[in-house]
Amino acid sequence: MWRANRFGAIRGLAGLGLAATLACGVAVAQERPKAVATVGMIADVGQNVAGTCLDVTALMGPGIDPHLYQASAGDVRTFDRADIILYSGYSLEGQLGEVLAKFESRKPTLAVSPASIPPAELIAAQGVYGIDPHLWMDVRLWAMLAPTIAEAFAEVAPDCGAQMQQNTEAYAAQLGGLHDWIKASVASIPQEQRILVTAHDAFGYYGRAYGIEVIGIQGISTEAEASVADIRNVAQLVVDRDVPAIFVESTINPRTVQAIIDAAREKGHAVTIGGELYSDAMGEPGTAGSTYIGMLFENTRTIVTALGGELAPLPQTLKSWAEQWNVDVAEQ
Amino acid sequence: MLAAFFDSIPAMIIATGALVGIAASLVGTFLVLRGSSLLSDAISHSIVLGIVVVWMLTGAQSGPVQLVGAALTGLLTVFLTELLAATGRVKNDAAIGLVFPVLFSIGVLLLNVYARDVHIDQHTVLLGEIGFVWLDTVSLGGYEVPQSLLSMGAMAALNLVFVTLLFKELKLATFDRALAAALGFMPGLLFYALLALTSATAVAAFDAVGAILFIAFVIVPPSAAYLITDRLWLMLLFASLIAVLSSFAGYGAAVLLDVSIGGMMATMTGLFLVLAFLFGPRYGLIAQGLRRRRAALAQAV
Repeated sequence: MWRANRFGAIRGLAGLGLAATLACGVAVAQERPKAVATVGMIADVGQNVAGTCLDVTALMGPGIDPHLYQASAGDVRTFDRADIILYSGYSLEGQLGEVLAKFESRKPTLAVSPASIPPAELIAAQGVYGIDPHLWMDVRLWAMLAPTIAEAFAEVAPDCGAQMQQNTEAYAAQLGGLHDWIKASVASIPQEQRILVTAHDAFGYYGRAYGIEVIGIQGISTEAEASVADIRNVAQLVVDRDVPAIFVESTINPRTVQAIIDAAREKGHAVTIGGELYSDAMGEPGTAGSTYIGMLFENTRTIVTALGGELAPLPQTLKSWAEQWNVDVAEQ
Repeated sequence: MLAAFFDSIPAMIIATGALVGIAASLVGTFLVLRGSSLLSDAISHSIVLGIVVVWMLTGAQSGPVQLVGAALTGLLTVFLTELLAATGRVKNDAAIGLVFPVLFSIGVLLLNVYARDVHIDQHTVLLGEIGFVWLDTVSLGGYEVPQSLLSMGAMAALNLVFVTLLFKELKLATFDRALAAALGFMPGLLFYALLALTSATAVAAFDAVGAILFIAFVIVPPSAAYLITDRLWLMLLFASLIAVLSSFAGYGAAVLLDVSIGGMMATMTGLFLVLAFLFGPRYGLIAQGLRRRRAALAQAV
């Protein structure tokens, strides 16, 4: 019933001959199996696990808020041609997540967060109703995705099982090094200033894992807007704790953060924008920030530098990554 | 043949778009004639209130309970609007503009106070994506049929039956409300039924294809049709045709340019409106210009 390319059936439709030719024009030569992940953070883990065994693409590009994602015609085709689909789950993808959950019976489709991370590790948002889906902010938790993905990929590319096992172990070592590096770097921030003020609550896991207090100005949903009281409270806190910098996010309007800065200035405290953090999406392709490791690395570098800490030396396991992306801790 | 049809992604996307377009254009024609086409936009906002209230009562963030809640809020919007308009102090569109911001803001306030840390908004409940209708199917007679295709097919059929059976009554009530009332057609009740259908269509369409596409389909094809013809039945027909054509052309253009399919379909309705505005046989810019020139010439002679 499931055909490799269902766009073929379009030919039966009158009036769409042109679109059909275009949709089918790309040669469907048999290549590596294709995996599609909803967000870049999953796709990058997938790519590291798969190595040369599968093609892994991310549906939502840099700077796209997954809660507000709109599909393009090309995305639809990507989905259709995929041999396996990975998504986060825990309502990160909104309604698309629910649709994908139902799709499991027809194509290998995996909600990677629930499948990898034990429930005890989750941060519940208000009672039993919601779960904070921003699990990639804790490297130790996100690393748990790799074995799950390797197992799922092995079913699509059975010849590659051993190869991917190796990749997974190598990647786990890199992520282990990254985790320790972030912990050590954040710990160098003076105790009083170890406080991360950002626009929305994407950094709950980061704060818990690396020992930094997180203040989100607006709630978890990017839809909600910060109230006047929210802004006043956070501004007061910034003044009281003598916080040197607060942060903006790549997927969120920086206006709210600017409002805090203005409010703090009125109270006679100068606070700067410490830089832009990756929260719900990774960086542009071709930059270090386009990798999961780079996303966490650059966030940490931004936070630690702005709050007066000192970056720890990069661990041995990340040397090859740093060379590939031309990243040097000492250089800034 | 049928299996190939249900198995084809473009066919499913275009068919769903066309059905949303037909269902929306049928009710939209009367809304445009009555000057209350803003209602579709109003409903898309006020349902936030329904979503929050249903969440507070049941804890459901999505699912059928949420759809019922959304439909009820749509009805509430319609009811309050009609109540205000019936006073005769404000016009239809003004009444809509008064009602939906109130409901929307109550929803946002509740969201701020009670649901700060919960991921809940219109998007989690009601933002369908037309590109992905083919992912969500039900088994029907051996075929995997997209759920949205079924729900929108049902809404289109329901609206068609309503408009066909009550065509005379709707026509009279739209163009001469007083006469309709005098003849015992109960125009008020008739419009309530029409608006209730609009609300139900809206919720089904939001769930299937998202809000913007539905709003475009309610307002733009009937407006374009209104530029082409003065006859009500032709206007209904043209509006539906324009909606269907927009689905086809919108899909094709979205594939060509690799952009949002729903967005492109909505853009296409706009394109048809511009065409009707320019080339409409009587009200079109060109026809009017020609007529004026001919009149001037006739005078000069």
